[in-house]
Amino acid sequence: MPISIQVKNLRKTFDYFKKEPGLAGSFKSLFWREKLYNEALKGISFEIQEGELVGFLGPNGAGKTTTLKILSGILYPTGGEAVVIGHVPWKREPAYQKQFAIVMGQKNQLWWDLPAQESFTLNKEIYEIDTRVYKNNLDELIELFDIKELIDVPVRKLSMGQRMKCELAAALLHSPKVLFLDEPTIGLDIISQEKIRKYIEGYNRLKKTTVLLTSHYMRDVERLCKRVIVINNGVIIYDGLVEDLMNRYADYKTIRLRFSREYNENGLEKYGNVVERDGLNVVIKASKEDIAKHTAKILSEFPVEDLSVEDVEIEDVISKIFTG
Amino acid sequence: MELFTKSSAVRTFYEGVNILKTIRRYTGLYKAFLFQNLKEDMIYRSNFITLVVMDIAFVSISVVLFKIIFGHVNSIAGWTFHQSVILIGTVGIVREMAYLTFRRGFLELGNHIRTGTFDTFMVRPILPNIHLAFRHISLSESLGECIMGVILVVYGFMHLNTWSLLSIPLYVLFLINSLMVYYGFSLLINSIVFWVIKSQELNTIVYFFMETSRYPGDIFRGVGKILFTFIIPIGIIATAPASILTGRMGWKFAAISIIVGVSFLSTGLYVWKKSIEHYSSASG
Amino acid sequence: MKKYITLFHINWQNSLQYRFSLVIYIGGYSLYIGVLLYLWSAIYHEGQSVGNYTLQQLTTYYLLQLMINSIIFSYISWDVIDNIKNGLFSNFLTKPLDYYLYWFTINLSGKMLEALFVIIAAGGISFFVSDYIFFPEHLITLIYFIIAVGLGIVLAFEMDFCIGMITFWLTQVRTFKYMLQTLILFFAGAMLPLDLFPAYLAKIAEILPFRYLIFFPASIYLGKIDNPWLSFLLLIFWIIIFYVISRILLARGIKRYEAVGA
Repeated sequence: MPISIQVKNLRKTFDYFKKEPGLAGSFKSLFWREKLYNEALKGISFEIQEGELVGFLGPNGAGKTTTLKILSGILYPTGGEAVVIGHVPWKREPAYQKQFAIVMGQKNQLWWDLPAQESFTLNKEIYEIDTRVYKNNLDELIELFDIKELIDVPVRKLSMGQRMKCELAAALLHSPKVLFLDEPTIGLDIISQEKIRKYIEGYNRLKKTTVLLTSHYMRDVERLCKRVIVINNGVIIYDGLVEDLMNRYADYKTIRLRFSREYNENGLEKYGNVVERDGLNVVIKASKEDIAKHTAKILSEFPVEDLSVEDVEIEDVISKIFTG
Repeated sequence: MELFTKSSAVRTFYEGVNILKTIRRYTGLYKAFLFQNLKEDMIYRSNFITLVVMDIAFVSISVVLFKIIFGHVNSIAGWTFHQSVILIGTVGIVREMAYLTFRRGFLELGNHIRTGTFDTFMVRPILPNIHLAFRHISLSESLGECIMGVILVVYGFMHLNTWSLLSIPLYVLFLINSLMVYYGFSLLINSIVFWVIKSQELNTIVYFFMETSRYPGDIFRGVGKILFTFIIPIGIIATAPASILTGRMGWKFAAISIIVGVSFLSTGLYVWKKSIEHYSSASG
Repeated sequence: MKKYITLFHINWQNSLQYRFSLVIYIGGYSLYIGVLLYLWSAIYHEGQSVGNYTLQQLTTYYLLQLMINSIIFSYISWDVIDNIKNGLFSNFLTKPLDYYLYWFTINLSGKMLEALFVIIAAGGISFFVSDYIFFPEHLITLIYFIIAVGLGIVLAFEMDFCIGMITFWLTQVRTFKYMLQTLILFFAGAMLPLDLFPAYLAKIAEILPFRYLIFFPASIYLGKIDNPWLSFLLLIFWIIIFYVISRILLARGIKRYEAVGA
């Protein structure tokens, strides 16, 4: 398979000014400000094959969004190389711009007061999409994302999840060969998150579009991608199969429990590691495989008032990669 | 030799076709964006009427001020009352032309950068400055001033006998030239956003720029003449087109106006382009 | 009292963050004044004159206008409007802070900072037109001038506060305020000295209280008013009137706010 995205030793440094506290500080900064540097990317390299769906995982501020912005030509790197489908992104050639799309979870690209349909029509003009192709693509996307009822409603009246579906559709009208998704599920409720994931997966399977998606939810990546790149502090610390990552570093889930009365403390240990104990509240890390069986047992054996099962946090995975 | 001329002729032909294509593409885009903006305007129709009424009130105050001044004097730097009325009207017309093209885009630029939506303009296959401008075309923002402007220009013109066959097309030509000055100036000022501060107050300067341009350029002398012709060209915006209608235009001023128009537009576009490059290398 | 002093300090610090917009605004306004100076100088150089003003007096009038406009005129009603509209006003109802005094303090501290900047700007311009600047002969004139400016700050604040209060009753208050502000500036003498107005307009301006905001202090400075005491009394009278109106509007506004809810 041909290579779609190639990144070599990519670096990016931001500079900013120090903010001095207090009245004297504000006054001083009228005349003189100290410059500080922040290395957002410290030389990252990776390759992505055509049609791959790769997750880009890391905590906030790790460098995920910076990488996507460089690959879509919004940012100019401090050093290193990148080639996406034969183009250097930061040259911002229209020929390249017509072949990729970027969707940012929290940035609305649709016209707020108008129905999404209107933004679609504009995109047809902007991307110079042939009328027949446009019609086909639109029909296909409407069906795939199930947005027939939504595209005639003013965007401001849509829920977050509905809006994200329309955002995605708007970005895909010109059949991009590469799709960048920056936190596509951020701020959505669990059901909408799951739907968005389903649509992304479906589209990738149907169109063989290369998708690079950032997230700080483990679940996004676990559910969607075969391959994952984990980035922390501007350095890639893992690049490989999601399955391996999960098996090695995220093979457990967290069970939070609250009991209604005193209970037998020793009985819990057999279901997992008790990591926190505070009166009637207990947190257990339990092996993923038997999670259903174990929770059922806990429920039947203990006076449980409340119980929740949570996925592993990306921060935990990263600290685990570092500690081995 | 012949081969050379042929290939260069072919190249010129293709370039011509390309330019035509580009023009056609951008006119198409303009139309598409205009309709969307009109639809958006329609949603806030009540706003529309207040805007127009307010505009008319503001222009009236300008006229009253000139009227009061002319109660004391016969002319300002050689301009009579009826000639000055054309100046006021011309500012209104240039303003509306700007709102129909680029002006509101710059007013929204600060917001776009603060919230990060400016990134959208960088990934689309249209020039960012054109996309920004077309995204915010506004018909109503300055419509009242334009209506008043046309009335004032016609009123002033009727009281003068400087009419000639060329007046009107030349007036339109110099209006476009003034729009170029205005656009170039706006580009230069707004480019600062990408370097230092993400502030939309910068457009306060542009506002004062237009407010002060309704006084005749002839009032400036010495250093002021150079400053307000070449650096902050408020002596051109209204004065050049109005000079045509009032029969005051000389060859020298006409040439200077056009040179300032062309150089402001090209410098503005160049600095803007460099500034966007800086934005993409510095900002987060 | 102490809390208002603290507030004064904090707002100073806060305003410093907006120094750039302040500099831009004053820069733009100076440009406007500069152009007007060219306008008058062109008129006088054509051998014409305007009313009983010399070119020196007119130039000084506009420079004073530039300073007075920044020092006296209150613009806090923009913030008051926002504050009431987005419901932040509710916070005030729960705090031991007087809403009127709160904004009075904010306004005063902002004005002090602006004064600093604008005096620099006016100084810069007067350097270029130093031949055309008028200085009063007697120290007492300057003292009268400072008293007039001080009282003007209070009156301007009260008027602006009243405009802000309208938000309780009117949703489209921003447009309304914009119109009102232009009208006030016009009748305060911001664009032209009021004694240059034609008789009927001058009469209206004479009755309205807005003249105390620009025209009155500027006229004192130019030595056109020898005995300003009667005017001072009238000005204080207006201050009391507007204080009472502010208080009534605030009290009624709070009642309405509580009834309608935010």
